[in-house]
Amino acid sequence: MELTIDRLSKRYGQRWALHQLSLRCEPGMLGLVGPNGAGKTTLMRMVATLLEPTEGAILWNGQDLRVDAQVLRQVLGYLPQDFGIYPEFTGRQFLRYLAAMNGLPSSLIKRRVDEVLEIVSMEQHADRNLPTYSGGMKQRIGIAQALINDPELLIVDEPTAGLDPSERVRFRTLLASLTSNRIVLLSTHIITDVEAVAGRLVILQEGKVLVDTTPDGLLARAVGTVWSVTTDQATALQLQAKFQVSTMVNQQNGVALRIVSATRPHEAAIATDGSLEEAYLMAVDGQTARV
Amino acid sequence: MNNTAVATSGQETAAIERPHTLARVMTWELRRFRASRLLWVQALGFFSLLLPVTWATQRTSQFDFGSNGGSISGFVAGTSTLGLIHNLPTLLTLLVLLLPFIAADGVARDLQRRTYELIMTTALPIRAYVWGRYLVALLISLGLALLMLAAILGMGVLLHLTVPEYPLPSVKAAVLLWVGMVLPAVVLVTSLVFAIVTLLPRLSTVVKVVTLVAWIVGSVVIPPGLRDQIPPSWYVNWDPTSAVTALGILPQYSFSEARMAASESQFQDAFMAIENKMPLVGSWFGSHLVLAALGLVVVVVVSLAFKRSRDVLV
Repeated sequence: MELTIDRLSKRYGQRWALHQLSLRCEPGMLGLVGPNGAGKTTLMRMVATLLEPTEGAILWNGQDLRVDAQVLRQVLGYLPQDFGIYPEFTGRQFLRYLAAMNGLPSSLIKRRVDEVLEIVSMEQHADRNLPTYSGGMKQRIGIAQALINDPELLIVDEPTAGLDPSERVRFRTLLASLTSNRIVLLSTHIITDVEAVAGRLVILQEGKVLVDTTPDGLLARAVGTVWSVTTDQATALQLQAKFQVSTMVNQQNGVALRIVSATRPHEAAIATDGSLEEAYLMAVDGQTARV
Repeated sequence: MNNTAVATSGQETAAIERPHTLARVMTWELRRFRASRLLWVQALGFFSLLLPVTWATQRTSQFDFGSNGGSISGFVAGTSTLGLIHNLPTLLTLLVLLLPFIAADGVARDLQRRTYELIMTTALPIRAYVWGRYLVALLISLGLALLMLAAILGMGVLLHLTVPEYPLPSVKAAVLLWVGMVLPAVVLVTSLVFAIVTLLPRLSTVVKVVTLVAWIVGSVVIPPGLRDQIPPSWYVNWDPTSAVTALGILPQYSFSEARMAASESQFQDAFMAIENKMPLVGSWFGSHLVLAALGLVVVVVVSLAFKRSRDVLV
């Protein structure tokens, strides 16, 4: 299976939300990150056939979706950033409904619903009405519905937003377990989510691919650009104004800073190993300080 | 969450069977409505309202054409043919007050609730989706219209059993008038409201309000002004509210026999002979059915124009 995005563009009025974006995806997880307005959701919605491109094409196994998008929908699972429910339904009814809309044979629906409920550990709560669910439970039902047709392409847009830390960890581990024999597109603001589960990382900025690499590759790009220094309050504020500060912690002996900069930001600064988040900041903020 | 046991059906669903997609959409939409208490409350409330309203239509009136030139008291049975011609437009207005709320949001509700994206990324054909939602809205609207017919006939029988001289309602006449007056209106309103709101979901509330106001103007405000004159035939034929249609039918009823009555008893007997006569349905019947067909045509157009992908959801 192969998803090809070929010079894809989307324009809203005079503004290009995506511009000449090309990607090729094979089975595995692709983490899509970028600042707000970078075009992540627009890209996800276009791949999910919910938005028509202004220019360019999306191909699923070589077939152009402009010609026949049903070939993709039959194997597509989609969890939008913000999705609604039918308050009249229980979790199980909701899944059965979407299974039916997906065209699953009646004989398969019950079994498949039980399977996805087990995958997301919602068997115990499946017969409760949807409005009684917590945010985490609703999100789990969301991923369950996206898996209902055992998709070859799974698109998840900001799936961990609003989840507590332990739910988030469990959710991303679940996502990681779903990557075999399917393409998973994961859009997120949370770099650690990508670090934990994605084999490939694409940073979007202003509708274009800024970086297409692996988490390790991005970390390698940041070698020598992350600095730590402990200084007094006034100097810390000066450094914060001048450089990209990733962490700033008040300690007894002063203020401990971690700074992302291509050049040594302060004479006392020591080069240190960067995190993926810092590597991301380095990539997005133009490889250098905000001078 | 179970992070290891990713049970699959071997992506067997890639070769998805798609039997009767329209029937599936309708079945699940009906299940959703069935699970909603609001619909049952609406239906029960509507039926409960119609019973006393129908009862109240067996009104006693003063008629000024007695044999001695004075006035005679008599009543028109509300569920007789003549009574129904008078009353159906009013009862229909009560029904139409509910229809926009049943029909408008069949598709728009998915956009407003953000369930739209979940459904539109399934392999469900778009025509099955639009038609399934529409047909269920139409079925429920027609169900309410049938409740109306049942309330009329049921109350008519009850009144016949309990009120002296109250005529047994004519089922044939009631059904015929229901088909000519109520059925086309229900199809037209349901179709137009569904179609417009499906294409313009942001205007859902506006469309509902405009529909209700337009109907009330057509059925309640305009007809009294035409009561002392012969309404133009095009208006009689094409009035979807049937209020002006009723005004056009009433001259078919001649009260000459009743004018000769010497007593209230003779008057009522003569009146009963008149009030259950079937009027000539004439051209208005066909015109009303054409209006219903136009409603269906509008839905066909919308189902062809409806696009799965949209830049803005609502």
